[in-house]
Amino acid sequence: MSEKHSTQSVSRGMDRRAFLKTSGAMVLAGGGLVNSQLVSAQSSGSNILLVITDQQHIDTIAAGGCPHLETPAMDKLKNRGVSFSMSYTANPLCSPARSAIFTGRTPSETGVYVNGLPIRADIPNLGQWFSQYTDYETVYAGKWHVPKSFTSSIAGFDVVQTGIGGQGNVCDTETSRACEGFLRNRSSDRPFLMVASFLQPHDICEWLRLNTRKPDRLRYQELAGELPPLPENFGFDVREPAVLKSMRQRNEPALGKWDEQQWRYYLWSYYRHIEMVDGEVGRILQTLDETGHEENTLIVFTSDHGEGLGRHQMVRKSSPYDEASRVPLIVSLPSRIPANLTDNDHLVTGMDIVPTLCDYAGIDPPDNMRGMSLKPLFEEESVAWRRYVVTEIPGNVGRVLRTQRYKYTTCVNDPVEQLFDMLDDPGETTNLAPSSQYASILGEHRQLVREWESRLDVAPNVPNPNAWRKG
Amino acid sequence: MATRRRTIVGSPLTPTLLKELGVFDELPAAQRDFAPDGTWSHTYRVWACHGYRETGNRDVGFLRIERAPDRAGKTFTLKVDQQIVHAEGAANSIHADIECLNDRLGSPVRWHLSSRFVGTEGEPRPVLRVEERARIEGDTIEVTTNGRTFKRQGSSRLTADWCLFEALQRLPFEKESHPVFDLLEGLSVLRTGHRLSYRGTVKLPPEGDIMLHGFHRLGHGALPYEYWLDERHRLVMVVSLSRAYVLDKEAEQATALELKRERGNFQRQKRGRERGGSQ
Repeated sequence: MSEKHSTQSVSRGMDRRAFLKTSGAMVLAGGGLVNSQLVSAQSSGSNILLVITDQQHIDTIAAGGCPHLETPAMDKLKNRGVSFSMSYTANPLCSPARSAIFTGRTPSETGVYVNGLPIRADIPNLGQWFSQYTDYETVYAGKWHVPKSFTSSIAGFDVVQTGIGGQGNVCDTETSRACEGFLRNRSSDRPFLMVASFLQPHDICEWLRLNTRKPDRLRYQELAGELPPLPENFGFDVREPAVLKSMRQRNEPALGKWDEQQWRYYLWSYYRHIEMVDGEVGRILQTLDETGHEENTLIVFTSDHGEGLGRHQMVRKSSPYDEASRVPLIVSLPSRIPANLTDNDHLVTGMDIVPTLCDYAGIDPPDNMRGMSLKPLFEEESVAWRRYVVTEIPGNVGRVLRTQRYKYTTCVNDPVEQLFDMLDDPGETTNLAPSSQYASILGEHRQLVREWESRLDVAPNVPNPNAWRKG
Repeated sequence: MATRRRTIVGSPLTPTLLKELGVFDELPAAQRDFAPDGTWSHTYRVWACHGYRETGNRDVGFLRIERAPDRAGKTFTLKVDQQIVHAEGAANSIHADIECLNDRLGSPVRWHLSSRFVGTEGEPRPVLRVEERARIEGDTIEVTTNGRTFKRQGSSRLTADWCLFEALQRLPFEKESHPVFDLLEGLSVLRTGHRLSYRGTVKLPPEGDIMLHGFHRLGHGALPYEYWLDERHRLVMVVSLSRAYVLDKEAEQATALELKRERGNFQRQKRGRERGGSQ
């Protein structure tokens, strides 16, 4: 079975055909990917800004339909480019996800299967690749976490600002101020690749530890009428792998025996965390505008992983459910990428970022990319695209395979599998795997996992290297 | 191998809990002639909590705010100095001079702000420096930075987070309705729809004789802020989730020590790596 199939994109907002007609000449003039050999990018290449938030679920942007918050900066990004609604992290945990974003490889290949591990030495990161094969200035501000969360030394990048562990509320401001300073003061005519890597909304982890105990009454009474409702999939199907049950039991809501009000206050608080980082993203966008870089800067906005949001009564990350696994991915470049489009068709992953940025810089990506360049999706009418994406479960204990219709989860040494019909049941509330009616679909998805795994060059330090290769 | 015991704090930070966690012992005495609308200088230690009682909590910097009234009493000047220590001993320093209206929320009128970074060895990073002069014009802000002038969105009901450190001290300790306002955080990021409420008193310690009066602020783009003032209307503590500003005359020295500690640790790690690499 082939990984790729041809699909016609269906998007909202501006008609893609119309966009391609008007922008086609410019796209061709801009030069496409050179497949046969590595080439240096020309100085006229677009600048690149990669903005990463930490622990942001996809449904947390006002312009994307979330009514519980104000996100003027993220709204601007959304209106400026293409957002992917089927965007999955390679792993719903910080370090593994980041290793995939910065290499285009799976976390099991980079060797970063849990937090705090370095990327395997023979796999280059984005900064190293760009430093070697382009004339881009490569600049990094904020959280890194492969392995150290904050460090002044990241191979391939000039680190302009480090940060403070566990305190996005303090250090994100400095991250955006450093980016602002860099943009205002630079005199180079070389293009830049700047990574602004924010820690928020990750401070929700501190919030959970400082609000574990259910209070007798809401601390701020005037919020009582403003708290968001519980999610529709607050209830869940208990037929789930043991690792999920144990995750839920260890988390603060179970420890503190939360009531509905505390769950809803947690949701209200999480949205404020998103607004906090939105302001910092806004500072960078404003600076791009004021320094004349807005029109010639490719902006990619994403997050390493999502957040539980009370769905399936989960908080934090690490779970295979969409709340932890689905993340924003917005790509924009005025006059080259359609504005204000939502792509609801293509399955994309954080691993697509490296090949996409290489494509726009005019160079080949490193070997063995598991991600694919998104550029053809913006510039061609019919694109051969993947049929599925795979998300790894932290600790390399499981795989989650998402196809257009279904989502399949399997964990090592656990007979309980999950299969959800994502069209009829997008909240993942009914596990279809035990039903004989779905036996063939289940079998097909197991086979797809085996097919995917057979291609991987799993790092030697990773546990369960062959768990999903067997028949 | 022994594992380090970690206990979740479990509850929001309050003055009592901060004292229990050892963030402060005694609050500094107020200057004899302290008046909220007079001339004063407050220095706060910025303390950050990771959510555990035993580990991960530390001083991350200081914030000093100095107030000087003008002769006519219509405006006053706030001088703000803040230093935040980052991993491996890098740091950011902010200096701002703000001219404020002597109104209820100390609305800023014009200001000069300077943001500077230093690297892990204390070396200046001039390429990251930002100098801004700004003035409010109705609901827009005219900002001049690096020789160029821009108009940014402001608000007709604007104050700033640093201005509230001053204005709170002039508010009466009573439940009354306060108008909604917008906030310019760090004199640069607009946060909308904020409101202040008086939340009553706490004793410190619970059976002690120090009475603190609290206000809280809610609005977009921020977790709730709680402001705690002593009976002379002196702002002694500000808490927002995991961050606390605690009045402390030694805060600047504590920040210098933290910076030294971060740099020392980083240099030791670096030497260790170099030794490891050369073997």
